[in-house]
Amino acid sequence: MKKLFNRVFDGADEMYALAEKSIAEALDELGPDAPLAMPNTAYYLANYLSYTKRQVTTIGGLKEAFEEAKSWNIHEDNTSAVFKTGFGVFMAAEAIEACKYAKSPDPYEGNYHGHLSDAEVRELGVPLVTNDIPGFVVIYGKAPSDEEAVDIIKGYQTRGIFVFLLGEIIEQARRRELNMGFPVRVVAVGPDIWQVAHIISFVNRAAMIFGAVQPGDRWDLDEYTFWRIHAFVNVYEPVSDLVVSCGAGAIAMGFPVITDDENDMWPVPKTLLIQKDTTNFIETSLEARDIKLKITNVDIPVAFASAFEGEIVRKPDTRVDYDGPRFDSFELVRTLEAHEIEDHKIEVFGPDIDELPAGEKLGIGLLAEVAGKNMQKDFEPVFERNFHYFVNCAEGVMHTGQRDIIRIRISNAAFDAGFRLKHLGEILYAKIMSEYDTVVDKCQVKIYTKPDDLKRLRAEANAVYDERDARLKTLTDESVDVFYNCILCQSFSPSHVCIVTPERLGLCGAVSWLDAKATNQLNPQGPCQVVTRERVIDPEIGIWEDVNENVLASSHGNLESVSLYSIMVDPMTSCGCFECICGIEPLSNGVVIVNREHIGITPLGMTFPEMASMTGGGVQTPGFMGHGKHFIASKKFMKAEGGSARIVWMPKALKELVASKLNATAKELYDIDGFTDMIGDETIAEDPEVLMEFLAEKGHPALEMEPMF
Amino acid sequence: MTFKPDPQTFASSIKEVSFGPEGAAVTFGGSNVLPFYAFDAPIAHKPLVGIEISDKGPDRELPALAAFYDGANTLSEIAARACTAPGADFLSLKLEGADPNGDNMPSDEAAALAKEVADASVLPLLVQGVDNVDKDAELLPKVAEALQGKNAILMSAKEENYKGIAVAAVTAYGQKIGAESAVDINLAKQLNVLIAQMGIQQGNYVMHLGNSAAGYGFEYLASTIERVKIAALSQNDDALQPPAVTPVAGDAWSVKESLVSEADFPEWGPREQRGIEMEISTAAACLASGSDAVILRHPSSVETIAKLIAELV
Repeated sequence: MKKLFNRVFDGADEMYALAEKSIAEALDELGPDAPLAMPNTAYYLANYLSYTKRQVTTIGGLKEAFEEAKSWNIHEDNTSAVFKTGFGVFMAAEAIEACKYAKSPDPYEGNYHGHLSDAEVRELGVPLVTNDIPGFVVIYGKAPSDEEAVDIIKGYQTRGIFVFLLGEIIEQARRRELNMGFPVRVVAVGPDIWQVAHIISFVNRAAMIFGAVQPGDRWDLDEYTFWRIHAFVNVYEPVSDLVVSCGAGAIAMGFPVITDDENDMWPVPKTLLIQKDTTNFIETSLEARDIKLKITNVDIPVAFASAFEGEIVRKPDTRVDYDGPRFDSFELVRTLEAHEIEDHKIEVFGPDIDELPAGEKLGIGLLAEVAGKNMQKDFEPVFERNFHYFVNCAEGVMHTGQRDIIRIRISNAAFDAGFRLKHLGEILYAKIMSEYDTVVDKCQVKIYTKPDDLKRLRAEANAVYDERDARLKTLTDESVDVFYNCILCQSFSPSHVCIVTPERLGLCGAVSWLDAKATNQLNPQGPCQVVTRERVIDPEIGIWEDVNENVLASSHGNLESVSLYSIMVDPMTSCGCFECICGIEPLSNGVVIVNREHIGITPLGMTFPEMASMTGGGVQTPGFMGHGKHFIASKKFMKAEGGSARIVWMPKALKELVASKLNATAKELYDIDGFTDMIGDETIAEDPEVLMEFLAEKGHPALEMEPMF
Repeated sequence: MTFKPDPQTFASSIKEVSFGPEGAAVTFGGSNVLPFYAFDAPIAHKPLVGIEISDKGPDRELPALAAFYDGANTLSEIAARACTAPGADFLSLKLEGADPNGDNMPSDEAAALAKEVADASVLPLLVQGVDNVDKDAELLPKVAEALQGKNAILMSAKEENYKGIAVAAVTAYGQKIGAESAVDINLAKQLNVLIAQMGIQQGNYVMHLGNSAAGYGFEYLASTIERVKIAALSQNDDALQPPAVTPVAGDAWSVKESLVSEADFPEWGPREQRGIEMEISTAAACLASGSDAVILRHPSSVETIAKLIAELV
């Protein structure tokens, strides 16, 4: 077998020989002083300018520049020599092309596009930089059939990828009367491999215009092309040495080459790939170049908008009722390895809606499998919880519940419009890929409706839920390295900042530490930022120097210090969205908690709105604190003042909601059984004196605790 | 006892931005004190006043405005005339005709109009968007291309469309842009960070923090501008340090005080005078809050505000 390096060198020699000949002919015909310029560009011969800083304007100048370029054709057995040779090949190719343009401003007479003007570089460069065009492909050679040639071009087109064609594939596309041209993002550059010089010229100019890369700066250029220009190459067999030498240059710029030619070809992971099945070129290429496609529309036969989120499908309108509470059902997100997932594959196991009698009730399982370099298992529940919103946004589809108590109803109207189970998959696929595109690279969806499958998979799902709950239990403030802040509410409460920790969720109840973490990863510039907690001042009250610094900066100078576990010393501020307010009850030495839904009066003589007026607006009011419902059972709740043993009163409904968790916490911290029975509520007392009698009778621990102030 | 001044200067300053073609460019920003605190330290560059024109021409029902633009009929003539307004530092073009909810003029045509205005103007040019993210995303890159070499400011790069506008305007065609957010310090900051991440350097963008007419929820805007300025200076937050441009004219001329006729409200006096007063009071408050430039429509307002600025810096 011939070594890959040697193929590059032999190919390079061929290209240099062709260039030598072209230049000699042009010199003969036009003389050394004849002007030489590509049309409509301020960048001379952009490849020479970019690599050697030379501003070529005459044929004589080209000759000189070409002599210098010969020093780039280095036959040494190392990668940097091969890469440099690859760049040299592009200069040789540009020389061949430049000679044609020296003889005629339009050498291809409209048959091929040839050189790209600066205006075209800018026009294509902007969407490439902004990722509105996710990348471009250069396809060279002859596809196995005309039909396949058109399929691959259209395949790239529908994915928004810009297509440059070189060689015979152009004729193949023309025979099938494929519409080509700059506006449709398919450009027939030229019939030979050396017209690749025009594409490289485009890349080099884009780097100079958009990346401010200076001519001659190889390091910056390589950085720019690798990170910013999402290009790749598809080459059909047979691949000549000449083409291999161009491939070396492409690879040097970070553009992977994908081919079906195995002869004397040496695959290099992510760089030079052999894909025997040419119909898989697209998938292989996108993965190799890490190109993620933007999903903008949800492909379903009914409308999809948040306007339909609250829509209820009533029983008589229901075509099928997937009734989670009565039949085995589940929804689950799982993380797999990238190779285990076929992107956008949607499978339905079991009878579809049209195979069931109208009004049927049965179970359903929704399994979304995702993969991504930045994916973390902690995000699974975050995505999963949003299934509810995603599915509900479809017109005529209703979703309630979560985990294994979901219910999905599909209306007759949606069914008549053609809605089937695979469309549930389309919704999940499109929403996961668009909402979480920074962490999910691939996604496939499986939908189950057979009772046997559901029984088995529900048990598996339950094991996953249990595992997650166990993880949440072990997630303590001490076990994590960082907290997060949340400034989502600053639009109306400008100086408020929430510090979200595993044991203290945001006061709105909607942002847990995991949510904040996911928000931060998905949108690094968004409302949740990392807060380090390295320089501890007081672990009991919950004060860290770095937390304070963050609070100062993110409140724009309004708050200097916050303690996370105290209601008395610099308590955390509130925006106004708190689920609950906790306030000191002086007589009993305890605190009263009231939730937003409670309309009655509290033993403090104030209602929720009255207490809210003292607590919100981002001000620190010692003795009052806004918080989420789930914070009540946290071991960090008022830890500095003795913890949840201070709670003397809560509305009955709230008490019932938090009872099991709060009792468990009280058992663990104070060895008290049935703690919530000691806590007063509106049916026991709304008056502090009556409450005191009740507390005394129950032996409430707060009565024995140290005064809070 | 003698008065001992205790100047409150900051270690950080607002970034300078220059716009306009070579030889005719103006610079603003650069200051390291609170608005008009000239007694603390010299103000680096005085706040600018822009005069606004529209491709639909001036409201010729207003007698003084009609008189000012008398004889100026084409857009070029109107632009040239606007540049003669005493106190005007730059020209601001609103491409109203391109609004998809109105005439929906194609972007190419609108860009050609912008070019016409730029060629007729002796002052630096600022172009305002049409308040439609999709249309602006298409229109402003075309305007950027048409105005090559003019070093204009193109307003209205919003969170939804900043990428294309920023890259096309600044990187591809060497213009400046205005990062527009809706009266919220964090959104303003976030957008600036995102724009910086596109590789757009400070000095190439200004902020548009929102607009409102005095008396119409204006406190919200004033407090946002103020907090942005204070955070930029006292906390050296460079993501909030681009200068702020506040277009005042659009809101000031579309509130009841500037719209109802004298016939309906004789006790309010002439409509034109009321509009001018709305512009002046709003602009003065914006400048006091921290705007580094305001955009006004009426030459009388422009002259008054320019005089106010000259007296205070």
